[in-house]
Amino acid sequence: MMNFQKIRTGLVGAAILTTAACSSMVPPNELVTARSNYARASQGSATRLAPADLDNAKKALDRAEASFKEEGDTAETKDISYAAARQAEIAESHARAMEANQLKDTTNASTRANEVNQAQVTSAELAKTKSQLATQGQALATERERREEADRRAAQAAADLAKFASVKQDPVRGMVITLSGGVLFESAKWLLLPTAQTKLNEVAEALTKQDKDSTIVVEGHTDSQGAAQMNQDLSQKRAEAVRTYLVSRGIAADRITATGFGPSRSIADNASPEGRANNRRVEIVVKQKP
Amino acid sequence: MKKSLIPILGVTLLVSGCGASFPVPTQKLADAESANRSARELGAEKKTAAQLNLKLADEEIEAAKAQIKAGDNRRADFILLRAKADAELALALAREHDAKEETVKAVDSSNAKQNANANGAK
Repeated sequence: MMNFQKIRTGLVGAAILTTAACSSMVPPNELVTARSNYARASQGSATRLAPADLDNAKKALDRAEASFKEEGDTAETKDISYAAARQAEIAESHARAMEANQLKDTTNASTRANEVNQAQVTSAELAKTKSQLATQGQALATERERREEADRRAAQAAADLAKFASVKQDPVRGMVITLSGGVLFESAKWLLLPTAQTKLNEVAEALTKQDKDSTIVVEGHTDSQGAAQMNQDLSQKRAEAVRTYLVSRGIAADRITATGFGPSRSIADNASPEGRANNRRVEIVVKQKP
Repeated sequence: MKKSLIPILGVTLLVSGCGASFPVPTQKLADAESANRSARELGAEKKTAAQLNLKLADEEIEAAKAQIKAGDNRRADFILLRAKADAELALALAREHDAKEETVKAVDSSNAKQNANANGAK
């Protein structure tokens, strides 16, 4: 009986010791979490971005492991392990914050670079526009000077012509120089009189002072006496005679044309000798370039 | 009977002597409270990710104070280990929240400027 009791006591004791030994081998949840957290942190960006925090976490985990080894699954081991788990989380959090800060810095730098680039583009566009405006301004000034010079020449030419011919400024046709037919031609003929050449010399000189881009039309006109076709032919031949002479005096042939109108554009009454004399005429129309 | 009381009395004196000799963890308490204050100043109370750890730190500090009051300085010392870790984690999570928020603002601002430039160029 005594032996049985001893055996039973021994078995109970062995069971208690075994349980105690096993329980000391099983780590508390806090230590398991600490190990897991540290393993995760040490494989993430914390190794690069928060190495000091990760080192703290490692030391905390080592303390927890040492406590477990020496003391077993005690409240203190759990506390130390709990703190170690948090240290690993702190390292991870610091690394994530660093990543966010780096992204922010990169974004801000990129934004600033874009702003600088945009400012440079705007500045270049502004300079280009200024250059274009300057060029346009220069062209306008040149054109204005050209027109002023042309106006001066026209005014001078008109003043010169006014000495021996009727000069009028027609808003539609341009400057109209009227020469009497009697001064230029014999009756019913189209050969220029010697005196006509003298006058046409002065006309040619005045026309050369005109704007080189202006066009000139020599118009022949007759009175209504005689056959209409004959008057038409006569006016055409007289206009061409004047044109030919003016070309011979230096007026560019491509600037000047000749047209005969016969009696169709009378300016006075053909019933009177005076009116007919006024209708027999040559008009030289100078039209400025628009 | 008297002989059996002597070892019990001795053990009692030894245990109470050890507890009494463990100093009040004043520095650890100050460290935990300091970290807790910093987390609160950074707005951890209003940041979802940090709220839980701040609350845990609060409770652990109170629990440590209760242990000190009860005379168990050693237990308080270990509880403060948890409190400080929770407060520091709350602080880290609050900072992380702020950093992420600022990054989102920077990215949004950058996108808005790029869109404005693109629209201006049209």
